[in-house]
Amino acid sequence: MNLVYQTVGQSIDKKDGRQRLRGEPLFSADLELENALVLKVLRSSKAHAEIESIDSDAASALPGVVQIFTARDIPGRNLMGIINKDQPLLVVDKVRSLGDAVALVAAESETAANAALQAIRVDYRDLPAVFDPQQALTEEAPLIHAEGNLLCRRDIIRGDIHAGFAAAAVIVEQTYQTSFVEHAFLEPDAGAGYVDSDGVLVIHASTQNPHYDRSEVSGVLRLPKERVRIIQAATGGGFGSKLDVNCQGFIGLALYHLQRPVRLVYTREESFLATAKRHPLTITMKSGVDSTGKLTAAKVRILCDTGAYGSYGIAVVSRAAVHALGPYALDNVAIESLGVYTNNPYCGAMRGFGAPQAAFASESQMDLLAAELGMDPLKIRKINALRPGSVTVTGQKLEASVGYLECLEAIEPYYQAAKAEWLPAQVPEYRRRGIGLGGMFYGIGNTGTKNPSTARVVMDQTGQATLYTGCADIGQGSSTVLIQILAETLGLEYENIQMVAADTGRTTSAGATSASRQTYISGNAVLDASKKLAAILCSLGARQLKTAASDLVLRKGQVQDRRDPSRGISLAELAALARKQGIELFGEGRFDPVTTSLDPETGQGDPYATYAFACQLALLSVDVLTGEVRVDKVVAAHDVGRAVHPENVKGQICGGVAMGLGFALMEAFEPGKTESLKDYHIPTCSDMPEVIPLIVESEEPSGPYGAKGVGEPALIPTAPAIANGLALALGERITTLPANLERVLEAGLKAGLFGA
Amino acid sequence: MQGNEQGLVDISITLNGREQKVAVPADMSALKLIREVLGLKGTKEGCSIGECGACTILVDRQAVNACLVFAPQLDGKDVQTIEGLNREPRFQALQQAFLDRHAVQCGFCTPGLLISVYALLLEEPCPDRDEVIRSIAGNLCRCTGYHQILSGVDRAINPDAEWRPDVG
Ligand code: FES
Ligand code: FES
Repeated sequence: MNLVYQTVGQSIDKKDGRQRLRGEPLFSADLELENALVLKVLRSSKAHAEIESIDSDAASALPGVVQIFTARDIPGRNLMGIINKDQPLLVVDKVRSLGDAVALVAAESETAANAALQAIRVDYRDLPAVFDPQQALTEEAPLIHAEGNLLCRRDIIRGDIHAGFAAAAVIVEQTYQTSFVEHAFLEPDAGAGYVDSDGVLVIHASTQNPHYDRSEVSGVLRLPKERVRIIQAATGGGFGSKLDVNCQGFIGLALYHLQRPVRLVYTREESFLATAKRHPLTITMKSGVDSTGKLTAAKVRILCDTGAYGSYGIAVVSRAAVHALGPYALDNVAIESLGVYTNNPYCGAMRGFGAPQAAFASESQMDLLAAELGMDPLKIRKINALRPGSVTVTGQKLEASVGYLECLEAIEPYYQAAKAEWLPAQVPEYRRRGIGLGGMFYGIGNTGTKNPSTARVVMDQTGQATLYTGCADIGQGSSTVLIQILAETLGLEYENIQMVAADTGRTTSAGATSASRQTYISGNAVLDASKKLAAILCSLGARQLKTAASDLVLRKGQVQDRRDPSRGISLAELAALARKQGIELFGEGRFDPVTTSLDPETGQGDPYATYAFACQLALLSVDVLTGEVRVDKVVAAHDVGRAVHPENVKGQICGGVAMGLGFALMEAFEPGKTESLKDYHIPTCSDMPEVIPLIVESEEPSGPYGAKGVGEPALIPTAPAIANGLALALGERITTLPANLERVLEAGLKAGLFGA
Repeated sequence: MQGNEQGLVDISITLNGREQKVAVPADMSALKLIREVLGLKGTKEGCSIGECGACTILVDRQAVNACLVFAPQLDGKDVQTIEGLNREPRFQALQQAFLDRHAVQCGFCTPGLLISVYALLLEEPCPDRDEVIRSIAGNLCRCTGYHQILSGVDRAINPDAEWRPDVG
């Protein structure tokens, strides 16, 4: 399709970009509330222990200490979790991991609050702890939750793997391991709140999902939802961690009891200690391929360590299974994915929900199979690529917008050039070069569950539009994209559109800013609302212009005759007219992607309405004297359906590559060891390779102007591309991430590269 | 600089062009002084241990991590934060270049990043890529992957600069 749009497809200035560049938006820690008390949380120093007693008398008596709260002060349901509720706001009788919240202090100053933390006495009785998910599943393992240590499982069974493996010419089997990863968004979690004159608890917070926060906080406090209002403050990144209720519950509890403004700002150390991590996955994968390179069967076992609590664990377990074998058609599969409680820090959502870990395994397997067959890695991917008409491992037939082959084709010239020229080029003896491919597909939105979004567009008497959306922009740019969709549909200048976002007091729910869903799902809700308003405007215009409404279009602030644009009436005039007639100009929109739930036994179903696809190529070199890896270039081809804002897409791709590079080479959160940015390193500017983003647009018919999503897909292929490049450079495959200095040296030694 | 009776230290700084006298505890960080005492919230706190660069300010035209400096050490110095720099035309040109190149996502790292780059540009109006990278190597950004930031700096140096995919 070659439609020319006014705004969609243009990289307009970011909504609030100028203010952000001036340092003006107020993040939660910047909010000044008069007379606000300081909140601090006492956190567990034990991984698994019963609490025999908490003595806060001495602490309460300290000057400036206002009150100390424990679980006993919670009026409602002291359990939180978006999917399964197993995490107390304040622990009741035992702690299940380091950093569990034991007590909450409210004080007049930070100094007083800190003194109180020191003075609270907690008597613990140590319980045996388990940190290995495999061990946690054994009979003897200590129980972390009464219901057992198995959080959930997801099986995907399709075809006949025995027949599939029997038909294979080559079979490879390997176990892959990934680590805990810290989100390390730049803004540590924070929030502030007060009680308004109607008795509503108003909480400003750094969040990805204000409407969920409201239901959780009102549940914990046993208040009707209307008594809690969550307003998203400017949010400095989230990447999944700010989907959990972090500060909001504590602020709510203190407001409930004290009826006084309060604020809670996590230190970086507390943010490290007390918020979710990426699940470490252990993936054993057996894959078979016939002599022509066609995949015949795969058997996969995935173990997800969810730590002490569920958070988004069930979603990660499920998504890891669905995405376990990547963007390839495969008839015979048996996938088993287990989520297991341990006494590790709890794991939740992080950009990709298990798909990045799975892609590391499955894309490594593709290269192993190709090597066994003596086939080019690009070729084996092309042979097996999902394409229109293919059926996924869950039995979903893909009809349209299946752009994986296009991504591979976009990469191909770079790949061939790298192979022909860059790889064989003369480099110093101590350097080894490698190139690697990583492919991926990613289902947009939640897995096989409802996840609707709603929106409202209102036009005032002067013809100005305001968009009301619950969608939390955490930096990625959803607000800009939603405004573009509205502007395009109503033929308005985007600069004139007002926006009210992510305030439960003023907007309806858009669901979570997660699963790369806001462009597709909230974009569609905005489209729906805008179209409804457009229809009203056209019918009003039809009367004025004495034309059928169906002949009218909205363009340049006017309702115009499609065939004769000189016949038109401005929206301002129409809006004034509507007002005279007592007609309110608004449209309410809703969108819920069409999905089916996965069969509990076989995992068959249509879990997503659409999928994004991507392939990245990494060029890297290893210094065989030091083990240092330098990623020189990443070429990243992403099928996003349509790029509503191409520079936003590029920004997501480059940011994703950076995070993927960290995941691949340097990031490993170690409980009790990596406590701050001093010992947990994320990529800096000087770690970055050259990045060439290639936008592929395989339009999604059900997407707003054809769009899908890109937030998470951006990161998923990077680590596998790097891992495959490293395997080529070293002649030895690294199967545990991160591929840090020690692991590279170890692999090099095995391959006889070092110290020879 | 003088100690007074409450154990506070009297200091005098030129803050964003205006002379300012304050009494601060000897162990208060410059970051705390700026954010909490003086109420300037454009300077961000991302780690408080000198690892993230979100708190970068200019002290005598040099980029400094405010969390690593004690407030009394600012005595007699010329201090500039984003609030003051927002009024400087050359800083505004840098901001415009960042806007044009979509170099801001969440914006939490942004004031510090801009100031690190600006400090470099004050010394060297036409730095090369390596110098730019060195100037911001201490400013973490988890959102952008740095490319659009570098592209913004390129544009500030040379308005016709094209997008360049490489870092060095
Ligand atoms: S807050 Fe100063 S460097 Fe992070
Ligand atoms: S824009 Fe978010 S940390 Fe840089």
